[in-house]
Amino acid sequence: MDIVSTLRVNRTERPFTADTRTTLLDALREQLDLTGTKKGCDQGACGACTVLLDGKRVLSCLSLAAQCEGREVTTIEGLARDGKLHPVQAAFIRHDGFQCGYCTPGQIMSAVALLKEGRAGSDEEIREFMSGNLCRCGAYPNIVAAIREVARLGSESQ
Amino acid sequence: MTVVTANKLLGDPVDRVDGPLKVTGAAPYPSDVTYPGLVHAVLVQSTIAAGTIRSIDAADAEAAPGVLAVITHENAPALAEGPMTPLLGPAPPSPLKDNRILHHGQHVAIVVAETLEQATAAARLVRIDYEETAPVLGIDNPEAAVLRNPWGLETQRGDAAAALASAEVVYDETFAIAAGTNNPLGLFATVARWEGDRLIVHESTQWPTMARQTLATVFNVPENDVQVLVPYLGGGFGAGLRTWPHAILTALAARLVDRPVKLVLTRPQMFTSVGHRAETTQRLRLGATRAGRLVAIDHVGTSTLGAEAANMEFISIETGAAYACPNVATHDRQVRLNIPSPGWMRGPGSEGNFAIESALDELSYTLGIDPLELRLRNYAEVHPQSGLPWSSKALRECYRVGAERFGWTRRTPEIGSMREGNWLVGYGMAGVTFGGAQLPCQVRVSIRRDGSAHVRSAATDIGTGTYTVATQLAAELLGLDIGQVRVEIGDSDLAPAPPSGGSSLATSLGGAIRDAAGNLLRAFLNVLAEDHRSPLQGRRRDDVTAADGRIHLVDDPSVGETYSDILARHELDELAADGEINPQADGAGMAPSGPFAARFAEVRIDAELGLLRVARIVSAVDAGRILNEKLARSQIIGATVMGIGMTMLEETIFDPGSGRIANATFGDYLIPVNADVPDLDVVFVGEPDRFSPIGSKGLGEVGIVGVSAAIANAVYHATGRRIRSLPITIDQLL
Repeated sequence: MDIVSTLRVNRTERPFTADTRTTLLDALREQLDLTGTKKGCDQGACGACTVLLDGKRVLSCLSLAAQCEGREVTTIEGLARDGKLHPVQAAFIRHDGFQCGYCTPGQIMSAVALLKEGRAGSDEEIREFMSGNLCRCGAYPNIVAAIREVARLGSESQ
Repeated sequence: MTVVTANKLLGDPVDRVDGPLKVTGAAPYPSDVTYPGLVHAVLVQSTIAAGTIRSIDAADAEAAPGVLAVITHENAPALAEGPMTPLLGPAPPSPLKDNRILHHGQHVAIVVAETLEQATAAARLVRIDYEETAPVLGIDNPEAAVLRNPWGLETQRGDAAAALASAEVVYDETFAIAAGTNNPLGLFATVARWEGDRLIVHESTQWPTMARQTLATVFNVPENDVQVLVPYLGGGFGAGLRTWPHAILTALAARLVDRPVKLVLTRPQMFTSVGHRAETTQRLRLGATRAGRLVAIDHVGTSTLGAEAANMEFISIETGAAYACPNVATHDRQVRLNIPSPGWMRGPGSEGNFAIESALDELSYTLGIDPLELRLRNYAEVHPQSGLPWSSKALRECYRVGAERFGWTRRTPEIGSMREGNWLVGYGMAGVTFGGAQLPCQVRVSIRRDGSAHVRSAATDIGTGTYTVATQLAAELLGLDIGQVRVEIGDSDLAPAPPSGGSSLATSLGGAIRDAAGNLLRAFLNVLAEDHRSPLQGRRRDDVTAADGRIHLVDDPSVGETYSDILARHELDELAADGEINPQADGAGMAPSGPFAARFAEVRIDAELGLLRVARIVSAVDAGRILNEKLARSQIIGATVMGIGMTMLEETIFDPGSGRIANATFGDYLIPVNADVPDLDVVFVGEPDRFSPIGSKGLGEVGIVGVSAAIANAVYHATGRRIRSLPITIDQLL
């Protein structure tokens, strides 16, 4: 059965028609042409599909699109503002926090949320709270370095 | 053989040029592609491992909403078999040939529907009646067919049997390594579209040139009518070296429904559809003198194989090259089972290293010689098989620098002697001699009137940094800024290239770019041959070099002119030249070297709980010239992480009764997560390689090799438990 709904994605109202079974992930990718969010397992085990829902990180493969009506969805495409990369995006490039880049949107969304959660106090904490995002290329030490740097700059600027 | 001598850009830790695309989600992977009218396909896979299909009832599936086709062996047209593949052997059997089932998870139908949800639902409605027979499973199964010396690569020098019989010290043990699954994060996807008889495929492949050839052969169309596109790939680790049956099925579906079709494998299907590291066993015998000189090595490697598939698993490929031992024999065995076809997974040959380097560690305790010293006593100054000088070898420096950074001298040799509180601390090390070939590769390089350079080849960047190092190399050779170079790869219509695989691409493509850059400078000089207005008229290639966007005399940089001026004056928009590399098979009087490395690991084991933690790993690597130190370090770190997975976590479990993979999800098949990974120190040593036209040696795989032995040796040092099987799990340490 189809539903007609509207998602608020990256500060824009996006009407769409989808199956009731459609996940938020598939709605973003197949209906709204926002393919930055990736499907790595479709089982909630890899974190590649991480987006922010009302500012909190969620796995979009485990969220039904229909449940997200009226809520604010932020995807990797919505992170840069006015052509300027988010500090986490810039730090990932500087520290080479990725190789193939497939898990990267999920890693970055998770990192952005983790910084807000105040979970970047130490390397151990970053490692622990980034462990829901798998990276098969094994860029973990560089991901930690990128997040550590943004956390430090953030605390210095406050 | 000359090497690139200028070193302005090469080696610089330049950020990945594709970084901005990747951190914004804008890099297009095959599964991101869409077309107007695109429809979705879902696979149906067999639920038995051996037998035949008695009947298929697809009526309900065909009647389900949105369904366009249900394709099975009963209604599929006959497809030709794929071609013989360089390096890898025969292609996987084409799909839907007949009603036979050879493994659990074999594709038996593909369902096409308007939406993914409809195709997924309809696929569940396909009813299949099987005639099941007992599957042949288990590497030790006496009923399994055994292939001996399947690739003709067994080696022999001296008389290993006689030397073993008379050796002062003899070692004889067996090793077992579980099957592993590549599991790139990117689910493999195919988006196929026919334009008349022309096929366009967006495909998760590490080898567009071969994928094109395979699809052309299977569908009996000219190669020029097939285009394979993969500008970005979500990792491969060997899984993308083959053009697997699902890709062929997607192209077939697109032809039959006459619409663009997208298929994205599920994570469980990634375990059954795109290869895996074969399960292996090894018997290793060493003979040595009491002074620690190896006199004999006899190495038998056995790997699993699919029922009708082909795969080369180089377990003992480096055994003869690693140490100066006069008597060596290696033996290759494969066992045919009803399992999905194994394939390459990062670093085939790392299995053999685990055995050899564990054995040397054991020998070091038997003989009372430091493990590092034992390796030095058997150092292969020249290639031990051919007797030829290595094209480069800095393994001794790897040992020295690695040991220094690690603090190897702090190791006390007695088992369990380095306790810290409740933690048993162990130090272990391993040496690494690995292969890595240059392969034939072509490229076209051009310069446009705006001064920009364009590098085009059917190579791929699977996360390895091809875009970046090709950019750096072209910029350096043509005297341009990095921002002026555009690299276009991942398109089979471009010049043929080898795979991102076998640690070969950067060196092969780099050699071709170097050739093309030289040819391009020649092409510019040809344009100027009759040009009286040019200060470069009549000059030859050796007279000139390039810098700052201009060609100038080597002897007098003030004499020259810019590419842009030359092209504008001659009313040319672009000047292009082709380049290639065709490595000399005879090695030009040298033994072509692969990379070398030394790995040092510190582990901590909870004395009561058996909990194993890797505290740190130091990797000292000789990979010749390092093209980009930042990316190279990431390669080694990433491969080391995969090595930690292979050593401590990863095991693809085949149910012994049904042949079903019992842990085909990320919840059950554990790969390292961020919290599993400690500090990883990487240092590069050595000189540019003399056989490589750009001085580099392969980096993609060496990082995984030696990790297992270093960790296992450290575990022994900490606990006195010698683990000869991988993964090392807590039950083995309690």
